[in-house]
Amino acid sequence: MTTEEIRAPASSATMADLRAPRERQATLGQRIYRYRFVYLMLVPTFALLLTFNYYPAFMGLYRAFFKWDIGLQPEFLGLGNFEKLFIKDDTFIKSLRHVSLLTSWRVISAVTFPFIVAELIFNLRSNVHKYTYRVLTILPAVVPGIVILLLWQFIYDGTHGLLNAFLEGVGLEDWQQPWLGSPKTALYAVTFMGFPWVGGVTVLIYLAGLQGISDEVIDSSLVDGCSGLRRIFSIDIPLILGQFKLIIVLAVIGGLQGWVAVFVMTAGGPGTASMVPGLWMYNNAFLWNKMGYASAIGMFLFVLIMGLTIINVKFVKTGDY
Amino acid sequence: MTVLEGQPQPVQRMSLGAGWRRAWRTGDWWRHLGLGGFLFFMFLPFIITIIISFKDIPQFDHYPFTVTFPLHPDNYLEAWRIVSRYILNSIITSGTSVVGMVILAAIAAWAFARYPFPGRELFFFGVLALLMVPGELTLIPAFLLVKDLGLLNTRWVLIAPYIAGGQVFAIFILRQFFEALPGEMFEAARIDGANELQVFRHIGIPLSQSILGVVAIMHVLSTWNDVIWPLVTLRSNELMTLTIGLYAFRTAWYTIWGPLMAGYVIASIPLIILFAFTSRLFVEGLSSGAIKM
Repeated sequence: MTTEEIRAPASSATMADLRAPRERQATLGQRIYRYRFVYLMLVPTFALLLTFNYYPAFMGLYRAFFKWDIGLQPEFLGLGNFEKLFIKDDTFIKSLRHVSLLTSWRVISAVTFPFIVAELIFNLRSNVHKYTYRVLTILPAVVPGIVILLLWQFIYDGTHGLLNAFLEGVGLEDWQQPWLGSPKTALYAVTFMGFPWVGGVTVLIYLAGLQGISDEVIDSSLVDGCSGLRRIFSIDIPLILGQFKLIIVLAVIGGLQGWVAVFVMTAGGPGTASMVPGLWMYNNAFLWNKMGYASAIGMFLFVLIMGLTIINVKFVKTGDY
Repeated sequence: MTVLEGQPQPVQRMSLGAGWRRAWRTGDWWRHLGLGGFLFFMFLPFIITIIISFKDIPQFDHYPFTVTFPLHPDNYLEAWRIVSRYILNSIITSGTSVVGMVILAAIAAWAFARYPFPGRELFFFGVLALLMVPGELTLIPAFLLVKDLGLLNTRWVLIAPYIAGGQVFAIFILRQFFEALPGEMFEAARIDGANELQVFRHIGIPLSQSILGVVAIMHVLSTWNDVIWPLVTLRSNELMTLTIGLYAFRTAWYTIWGPLMAGYVIASIPLIILFAFTSRLFVEGLSSGAIKM
């Protein structure tokens, strides 16, 4: 359907039309008219974006200032929702502490374990081995996320779980827990799942950076006797800071948006022991129909994610070589 | 920022003589050991899943994590009866939306990359800005929108927003790639009498197959794995995608681990097949600097 749409105007735009602008100054109207088929090419894209992306985004920002329950007339509250959120809503404040722990661990694990694996692969001699390991590390990323979450739910299971069976096997029966069911451990269980924390895509991004380092730099470092750990710290890491920056941004965003994992594993429980802001938003909206209040949480998350991303991109310096 | 500069060159650093060569070779064994350790723990959950998927209930109760005989492949039949519908739904949803998304994104990215039309940067910014908008902000209004449109509990409630949202990142990636294509080739085609559509279809698209493949695979992965949107917009069991179907399956079959684990295995197979056929695209796409800041 979309190819039909562009066919008619595209054929009417001749070569002369497209090559003319350099020859004489055309008015804005003439230039727009000349490229009319290009605007037609953008129509389907923007129609969808305006409907399903722009409209909800602006609506989300707007309704954050309303009391908005389904079936009732929205009622303007000003900053009322935010006041309630930060002053009266203890669960929300608690969820902020939880999400900082989750996000911190995500960042820490994303800049260490996958980088170690990338360095190990990068320094292998055989290209065949390199390729094999790359495919093997990316393979788990192909297993659907929900399967991995449900598997970790099983690993943590109190009666049948792998973790408790392992503890029994090594003689630590006292440590056995219903890991997701106990308020003391639920949050930590969710935070530290995914051992050994090696994301295949992250490894590939680091590897891409390492492979981008020019041979001359590595050769001359070897001539100067710089190898092993020394080379990793004084050459590899500074030269792929761009990749580290990307990974950190992705980990922060992933941490703040990673409430789906909490939803599947514990639903925020027991009680609110592992509640995070995204899930609190979901509960307010879809369990209790408090759409305005939930929109305020959504707006808060939006501002937080944007702020942290800008800080990261602006102030974490990248070396340009 | 560079996009897909072809396969990265193998690093030639063994050229420094036999001494280095030997040092690297003897150093490699502990690298294999380290990687093997990481991979062992990465794959352990999947191995145990496969082992459990062949057990009946007493076998699991007595020897949960070791292979027990007789194997029970009938678990797979049982799981297939439940999971197959969800897989089909996911294939329809992801398949339709990836086709629509790639077509629209390629057309738009081509417009942004090759024509200096008035307002180009403004419109492009209008697309890029959406990269900054998290799903949390739009979830609730989007839900109420599709509710008002009467789309709830239909296939379109997933497909249309997936096409819309997926375009954003794809346009961003494709525009850079299209811009880097050599302009002379298109000029030559035009001189030979090709119109703009022919240039796009017969030169632009064939030259961009790999990046289109990368964009398509990333879209399939993200829509295939989506949990929240189908969860809030679909009610009927007939329409459920794999993620929420499995979630419901887990709730219903809790502690009947054999068929449950068999269901997890079956659920993983479609993407593994996709990966098997496109692993090169996948790995090269991700590791050749397509994504970098």
